[in-house]
Amino acid sequence: MDEPTTDLIQGTLDMLILKTLSLEPMHGFGISRRIEQISRGVFKVNPGSLLTAFQRLERAGLLDAEWRQTENARRAKFYTLTRAGRKQLEVETTEWTRRVSAVTRLLKAEG
Amino acid sequence: MSLWRQVSRGLHVLSNRTAADQEVADEVQHYLDEATAVHVARGLSPGEARRAARLEMGNATVVREQVRDYGWESAVGTLWTDVRFAGRMLRKNPVFTLVVVLVISLGSGAVTTIFSAMNALLLRPLPGLADPARLVALQPTRPDGTVLQQGSYATYAYFRDHTHTLDGVAAWGRVSLTIASGGEGTAVMGSMVSGNYFDVLGVRPALGRFSAPDENRTPSSHPVIVFSHAFWKTRLGADRSAIGRTVTVNGHPFTVIGVAPNDFRGIYTGIQVDAWVPLMMQPLLRPRSDLTNSSWLWLFGRLPNGVTDSATQQELTALSQSRARDTGSLTASGTFGSIRVSSLTGLPNGEGGPMLGFMSLLLGAAGLVLLIAGVNVAAMLSARSLERGREMAVRAALGAGRLRLLRQLLTEILLLFLIGAVGGVIFAHVATDALERLPLPPNVPLSFELSPDFRVLVFALCVSLLTGLIFGLAPALKGARHDITSRLRADSPGSGTRRRLMSHTLIVGQLALSLVLLVAAGLFTRALVRGQQVDPGFDPAGVATASLEPEAWGYNESRSRAFYRDLRARVEALPGVTGVSFTGRLPLTNGSSFEDIEVAGATDVLVHFAKVGVDYFSVLRLPILQGRAFQPSDDERGPRVAVVNETLARRVWPDGDAIGRTFRFLGKPTTVVGIARDAKYATLNEATPPFAYFPISQEWQPAQTLLVRTASPPEQLGRAIQHEMLSIDPALPRPRVTTFRQASSIVLLPQRLAAIVTGVLGVVGLLLASVGLYGVMAYSANRRTREIGVRIALGAQPSNVLGLMVRDGMRLAALGILIGLALAAAATRLAAGFLFNVSPLDFVTFAGMSVVLLSVALLATYLPARRAAAVDPLSALRAE
Repeated sequence: MDEPTTDLIQGTLDMLILKTLSLEPMHGFGISRRIEQISRGVFKVNPGSLLTAFQRLERAGLLDAEWRQTENARRAKFYTLTRAGRKQLEVETTEWTRRVSAVTRLLKAEG
Repeated sequence: MSLWRQVSRGLHVLSNRTAADQEVADEVQHYLDEATAVHVARGLSPGEARRAARLEMGNATVVREQVRDYGWESAVGTLWTDVRFAGRMLRKNPVFTLVVVLVISLGSGAVTTIFSAMNALLLRPLPGLADPARLVALQPTRPDGTVLQQGSYATYAYFRDHTHTLDGVAAWGRVSLTIASGGEGTAVMGSMVSGNYFDVLGVRPALGRFSAPDENRTPSSHPVIVFSHAFWKTRLGADRSAIGRTVTVNGHPFTVIGVAPNDFRGIYTGIQVDAWVPLMMQPLLRPRSDLTNSSWLWLFGRLPNGVTDSATQQELTALSQSRARDTGSLTASGTFGSIRVSSLTGLPNGEGGPMLGFMSLLLGAAGLVLLIAGVNVAAMLSARSLERGREMAVRAALGAGRLRLLRQLLTEILLLFLIGAVGGVIFAHVATDALERLPLPPNVPLSFELSPDFRVLVFALCVSLLTGLIFGLAPALKGARHDITSRLRADSPGSGTRRRLMSHTLIVGQLALSLVLLVAAGLFTRALVRGQQVDPGFDPAGVATASLEPEAWGYNESRSRAFYRDLRARVEALPGVTGVSFTGRLPLTNGSSFEDIEVAGATDVLVHFAKVGVDYFSVLRLPILQGRAFQPSDDERGPRVAVVNETLARRVWPDGDAIGRTFRFLGKPTTVVGIARDAKYATLNEATPPFAYFPISQEWQPAQTLLVRTASPPEQLGRAIQHEMLSIDPALPRPRVTTFRQASSIVLLPQRLAAIVTGVLGVVGLLLASVGLYGVMAYSANRRTREIGVRIALGAQPSNVLGLMVRDGMRLAALGILIGLALAAAATRLAAGFLFNVSPLDFVTFAGMSVVLLSVALLATYLPARRAAAVDPLSALRAE
């Protein structure tokens, strides 16, 4: 049986998409799979949320989209990080790290 | 950048919704394909793999919808769906839609019409000017605060040469021109303008050029003329080669140098100027005016960016004071304390206030009609929302949320009001056309362009939508009520007193408001009638008039005098004519001249006066009570004489011995030879001022009005008088001959206009309200068919039933009238200034209009009641 999966933490989906795309341009399913693989199946991405997030990020100018052939000869919509997207990723990463370390400190103090 | 993306992507999606949907579908499909491929790679059969992928994704349609709903354009899409659905619903019920739209159009049209006129007269910036917001009128103001409308050339020149706070100061004066290019002349309204007039206004010539500043330095040196586009088209045949041609202007040759652009007709909205000549041509065109020192010019300037009215006002006031010091003396007309700087509007300075008051009054009346229409529509909508109760309940049962239903209903209602607004604008277009064609007094050179413009369109739309929100919200809320089960179950609609109370309140409101309108219309009509009955102190019937301006024909004084002598002899010889005279100012045309007279041993008295010809008193049948009237010997060679009115005689010589006494008028000793009965001079409701008449041959004034008393109807004299004039000089423009009553009708113009406008509004309001009342009564008769059937079956006579129903309707009407009377009593006070001596609480009007409303209401109840009383009890009972 599969390991139990966890819903994504609210507001982290955008950051995870940006991070995944910072490695290379990818299509929707690729991103979803990459997030699952790297999180070792902890996070499972809802396709509806994922595709809507693409719309949002594209409108905000953080992603560019383009229809291309995949290696297995299917047509897919590939997303690329824009310069603004890269900058946004940096901002979000810093902010995330800051929060996580704060939460960690709190939890340790509690323990 | 991201905002740009939002907008452009959204528009892109909107413009091609199917392609965008397809793209989303493709992306979802690809996702599924990839997921399936992964499962196949793990060893599942293709069928199982697809099933697994679908399971993981959930409902693909939901995913597609979710992605699709993102972005502002999807809200627009929903709105569009709502609008289309609303359109379908309205089409499904065309009679209802038509009636509602008609009612809204009437209401919104009434308001839009008045606003359109208001916009044209008061709000619209002057057409054809560059950046009109920065143009300011400069008005000399007396130390006591009286605003003098005009200033002198000297004032203008001083400001022009010394100001630092204005980009330019220009001046213009009115002049009557007679244009001839061989043959009969044409009288046109002209302006004499400073060299920078067009520059400061920012107007560019449509053809040729405007006069240059250096053509405006030396008096009489540059006879050039610029025509309006309309004049060029109608009189010069739209001929481009007209530029450079020579025309005769007031008897002098002038060269045509340019044509103004199509929309520019001078600075005052009501006075359409047809020709512009340089100010410096004044000695030729208006020789009796003193160019330099008399105050006959309107001044205006252009504010530079960043300079305020008040800075300019301070500077110009300081300038005028330093000029007063420089010149050492102040002429009477040059005495002023400060310069008022206000934005240049299309109205002669100072007329904006009263006009705004009058128009606001009319706008208020039109607003009442809109209110009635709104209430009427609200009643229709709430009746309809009951009818549609089932439809709404079904849609709610199928899962439409309350907000969704409300949005849908509001869209429908606002769509109705939107169509109504369009109807209103069309209505306003027709109505303003009619208003423009209202006969104006012939001697008032006014013509207006009142039709709606963009601003009016926006206004109409906003007013209509606002009305829609106000009167549509309650019916929409009611329609979107969410008690599915009770509404699906209930078979007969709208039982209960709450609904009846609501519709009754609406009816009473409509009746009350329409009574207010009727009372207003009645009061203005009474004022008009009262005004026409006011005894002016002389007999205006049977007098023909024509205003003549020999200066505009290039006549000098001796030629003018000869012309008037000749004209008098010729007209006196016409059949039916019993007397001929002239006056420098026609009475009852709202204007007056006044001057202080000096009386030995007494303080100066401010006297209103008129310069009149021999036989003036006999032609107007104005009795001379003591002494004598003017006679031919009272001419420029004879001793200076005057006739005074009773009030002046009493004021200055209370002992009753005025005849033979002297006073000084404009410094010249003048002897009183007669006392005339007090009369009305400028307006019909003035307090009688001290008044003096001087022989016009002793106080010469070239512009005179011919007065002819005739035994035959004065209308018939026109042709003969024109013929006599043209046989004296064939180059004269054909004069306009009118009756005295027509010529003086301007004194009652506000009353006439108000009576017409409120009359029309009152009828519309009454119509709407009575149709509303009829609707409610018919509806209630319908609903009570069964009850009535029972009553008749139990022995009630049809007359009992009739009485029952009529009593119900009359109760509503009576309540409406009571409230309406109270509202009217509060509102008519605002119009008191326009009512002559009619009391704003005039009993006859209030009672009469109540009776009118009551009778119409009676009719509106009687008709449905009669039908109800004729019900056949058997069929009525069987129907259940």
